[in-house]
Amino acid sequence: MTNPQTPAVSVLHARKSFGNKVVLDDVSLNIMPGEVLSMIGPSGAGKSTMLRCMTLLDRYDSAQFSYGDLSVCDNGQDGRAIYSRDAEREARMRFGIVFQHYNLFPHYTVLKNITDAPIVVQKRDRTEVEAEAMELLRQLDLLEHANKVPCELSGGQQQRVADEATSALDPKLTADMQRLIRVLASEGMAVGIVTHEMGFAKLVSDRIAFLFDGEIAEEGPAEQVIDDPQDPRTRRFLSQAED
Amino acid sequence: MNIGTMIGMLMQGFVISLEVFGLTLVGAVPLGVVVALGRLSKFAPLRFLTKIYISIMRGTPLMLQMFAVFFMPYYVFGIETGAGFKFTACIIAFIINYAAYFAEIYRSGIQSMPRGQYEAAQVLGYSPTQTFFRIILPQVIKRILPAMGNEIITLIKDTSLAFSVGVAEMFTSSKALVASQRTMVPFMIAAAIYWITCLLIEFGISRAEKKLGYYHD
Repeated sequence: MTNPQTPAVSVLHARKSFGNKVVLDDVSLNIMPGEVLSMIGPSGAGKSTMLRCMTLLDRYDSAQFSYGDLSVCDNGQDGRAIYSRDAEREARMRFGIVFQHYNLFPHYTVLKNITDAPIVVQKRDRTEVEAEAMELLRQLDLLEHANKVPCELSGGQQQRVADEATSALDPKLTADMQRLIRVLASEGMAVGIVTHEMGFAKLVSDRIAFLFDGEIAEEGPAEQVIDDPQDPRTRRFLSQAED
Repeated sequence: MNIGTMIGMLMQGFVISLEVFGLTLVGAVPLGVVVALGRLSKFAPLRFLTKIYISIMRGTPLMLQMFAVFFMPYYVFGIETGAGFKFTACIIAFIINYAAYFAEIYRSGIQSMPRGQYEAAQVLGYSPTQTFFRIILPQVIKRILPAMGNEIITLIKDTSLAFSVGVAEMFTSSKALVASQRTMVPFMIAAAIYWITCLLIEFGISRAEKKLGYYHD
């Protein structure tokens, strides 16, 4: 088990450029077990790149990056990140990711969308996986849709299957998502969110990091960052976001 | 000669046509996947070679390709081939020709898949092979069915080209009958048989489309 004092995810001094464009400029961020952290900021600030790298869809140019006690990458002598393939594979077992666009597999039923990877990739027992999935669908109020394909579901329902929480959801669903995220966190899971919904971020997060031009301009308890931002860039961003 | 006898003789030829048709599909459908993957490879020389291959197969007549395959063993390698080689040469030419067309159809389907599907699979830990066979290919099949239908219908009619290397398929029989009986009827019967076969293929394709119509993306 992971020591509760060890961050569930830890990224130190992350840098990343696309060509000449610096997207992440020395960003450090960690999420403790049971903590919900939201990243906010204007488009192009580096939030999505940060999340893509944290979920191994992309790689940092340099960083010390670990999941709990599992080091995913560290810098070599030349200062560039060296990734361990084994660690990447192992890390992928430790997190789930929910996309802004649903990214369900359209040819699979709702149930199979949830169970196929654990059965095929992790070689887990089908009965056990399906029982867990049915329980999850029950929590999400989607049990009756288990054998439908994604196109038969409404957008909000698809989004719940994809476990995503943001703007396309109506208020009741947002409340459901918020509750679900809190349940996951109370079970000790670390949750990282990228959102453009400030109200949602404030409600659901313990901590918020405001990114601007590839740097963390401000970071702190959710209420404080939203209601009493210290950095002028955060203030400007939030006042525009309200419009 | 009565019509019944003519139909009987044409059907004998039609069995050969169907053999050419079936064997070509059995060979070219999977070979096309290999060619398409080569065409999409990250390895530039392989990509270049498959591109040239597709270009030549599409850019030269199938009839010429059949003759090339038929004569190659003797003129290039000095190997004597028996009379039975006519049929083999014909099938080889059909397979390598149709694999090129199929490969381009597969490529269009594969490239139309949104990147999110690959990313979702990657995040869930699917290997590249699992991603291709479980996530991408089943969806590609649905997308390319109409284009494949076109090509398969063309194939049944193209089997008449086997006539040129001396494979006695239905067109060969009908031409012989027209010449000996001095009547157009064998051609009309042959045309009807080709058309009915195409109707059956169209029916099969639309059944498959319905079966895969349980979802859309």
